[in-house]
Amino acid sequence: MAVVGASNNEKKWGYRLLRNIMDGGFRGGIYPVNPGEAHVQGLPGVPSVKELEGKVELAVIAVPSQHVLAVVDECGRSGVKGLVVVSAGFAETGGKGKELEQELVSLVRDYGMRMIGPNTLGIVNERASLNASIIGRLPRQGGISFITQSGTLGLALADWAIDMGLGLSKIISTGNKADTDDVDLLEYLDRDESTQVVVMYMEGVKRGRLLLESVKRIKKPIVAIKTGRSQQGARAVFSHTGSMAGSDEVFSAAFRQCGIIRVGTVECIFDAALALSTQPLPAGNSVAIISNGGGASIVATDECEKRGLVMAELSETTRDRIRQTIPAFASASNPVDTAGTSTVEVYRIVTEALLQDPGVDSIAALYVHTLLSDALEPAKALAELKSKYPKPIVACWMGGAGTEAGVELLKKSGVADYVTPERAIKALAALVMHREFKEKVKT
Amino acid sequence: MRRPDDTELFGMLGEYGIPLVPYEFARTRVEAVAAAKRVGYPCAMKISSKDIPHKTDAGGVVLGIASDGDAGKAFDSIMANARNFAKGASLDGVVVQKMPGKGIETIIGIKKDPQFGHVLMFGLGGIFVEVYKDIAFRVAPVSVREALDMVREIKGYRILAGLRRQVPYDIDAVVQVLMAASTLVEERGDIAEMDINPLIVHESGATAVDARALFE
Repeated sequence: MAVVGASNNEKKWGYRLLRNIMDGGFRGGIYPVNPGEAHVQGLPGVPSVKELEGKVELAVIAVPSQHVLAVVDECGRSGVKGLVVVSAGFAETGGKGKELEQELVSLVRDYGMRMIGPNTLGIVNERASLNASIIGRLPRQGGISFITQSGTLGLALADWAIDMGLGLSKIISTGNKADTDDVDLLEYLDRDESTQVVVMYMEGVKRGRLLLESVKRIKKPIVAIKTGRSQQGARAVFSHTGSMAGSDEVFSAAFRQCGIIRVGTVECIFDAALALSTQPLPAGNSVAIISNGGGASIVATDECEKRGLVMAELSETTRDRIRQTIPAFASASNPVDTAGTSTVEVYRIVTEALLQDPGVDSIAALYVHTLLSDALEPAKALAELKSKYPKPIVACWMGGAGTEAGVELLKKSGVADYVTPERAIKALAALVMHREFKEKVKT
Repeated sequence: MRRPDDTELFGMLGEYGIPLVPYEFARTRVEAVAAAKRVGYPCAMKISSKDIPHKTDAGGVVLGIASDGDAGKAFDSIMANARNFAKGASLDGVVVQKMPGKGIETIIGIKKDPQFGHVLMFGLGGIFVEVYKDIAFRVAPVSVREALDMVREIKGYRILAGLRRQVPYDIDAVVQVLMAASTLVEERGDIAEMDINPLIVHESGATAVDARALFE
């Protein structure tokens, strides 16, 4: 790959990009292109892409916008197939920039190349150890791929996801979507074996109708946050429909029709992605809750109702098994309240009884930390059961300090753990929604 | 953008099988009385002018006309009000409609969205749409199942389904009108906006009473 505009000046994009590519451990050849430098960050540089004929497939371009067309032309002549154009100063600036972007696109297409950007903050491909972006580090390997229209916010979110310990496969900052847009990228990620779940941060789409048709055929879960209110003109309102059908309402309808899980907050997109990438889909929308405290289970029960999930009606057998395990004054009906007990045995017996109950489709296991209990104990019970039953389990180990070992074990054993009961239930609702989409919407 | 006149608009709706309440156009007082007689009493009379999309605001609607005499008076007052309301507006005359049977008011709408193309809207009429915005949208074309989902999705569905009544309203009839609207926009790409408002849903059947539209 070539890095055009690679630099020794730490204040430049061309520095950061090359640095990240090298630090990421990209295994192919890396060629810095800079007419002014013989060596860039220790690598031998070339003055022009022309020198690299036949040697590079991918070019990352970070030169001022007025030079981009000339560089792209050289790339085309030298056999480059893919471009990541980081340079800004195109359609996002209006007027002249718009014209320049049109010229850029036709040039790219004349050579049969494909382009991400311009105005992208880069791409990450974990499989190829390629970090051609401004994100400071590579994520852990995993099945979530992330498409973001906002550069800075999107990459901050990616950074945050890395912090959460989520495994990511591809990160793509789309920039102006001049050549490749959401439809191209979704179809690519659908074919990509290492992608299980797609997360999107969207502000608008270019080819809405095509997106709708394309996503109907994609069975991998897609979770999206769509921001940006409609920009209704100043035109006087003529019809009710005209005034009500703002772009936001239309997006919601379109997402529902093609099966995109729309979430309302940025934290929700990765919460949902975590559940979708680690849990099997539930057979239905009935939930059983186990908790060592009544408060947490009430919060979770309320959230279930808000999200259209129903509390499972437990069978007599299940309730008997639970009753024999928990204190006499505790609740053996759903939500199951162990009245403060959180030993391995109690959590194992109760959770297993719930998992075996045919009326239960998924489990929300809650644990509220106290100074008298050990957060690792109930986590051990879930870790043990997780691999034995094909039902989704979301968890919420509340309490912060003291819960770390338990949380770590949950993560390691494939239980999706969340900070609050609401977030756990919302993630569960995303699983239910995707199952419904697969049944009703996907073709 | 252009506004079709009532003749064109009602004609188009009829062509696509959207059930309209029986109507006739009349240009003069004599025609109006004759039209009223033919559609039958009680009937309604409304101003017909593409310059007046909101007919009630212009004093251009008289309901419950019961006799020839009432019909003549209604014509006079509607034309006078309309002339006062919109100076220089081109007035096509009036539309005389049979009063629709009992039912619940709903609205079916169409809008062309710049990113997704034509979108259908459904909701209960009056304050339900204007204040509570209790409405459902789908990108057209829709399947029968999607149309039914739209009807079930609104909070007011329980009212349609017969809340506190013995008999539900005819939900299949609503679905049929939604399907007709879906076919309509597939063939008429030039519709920018349209309201079928109200669409009265009866215990059996549904009737469109009025509509307004904007064509590209």
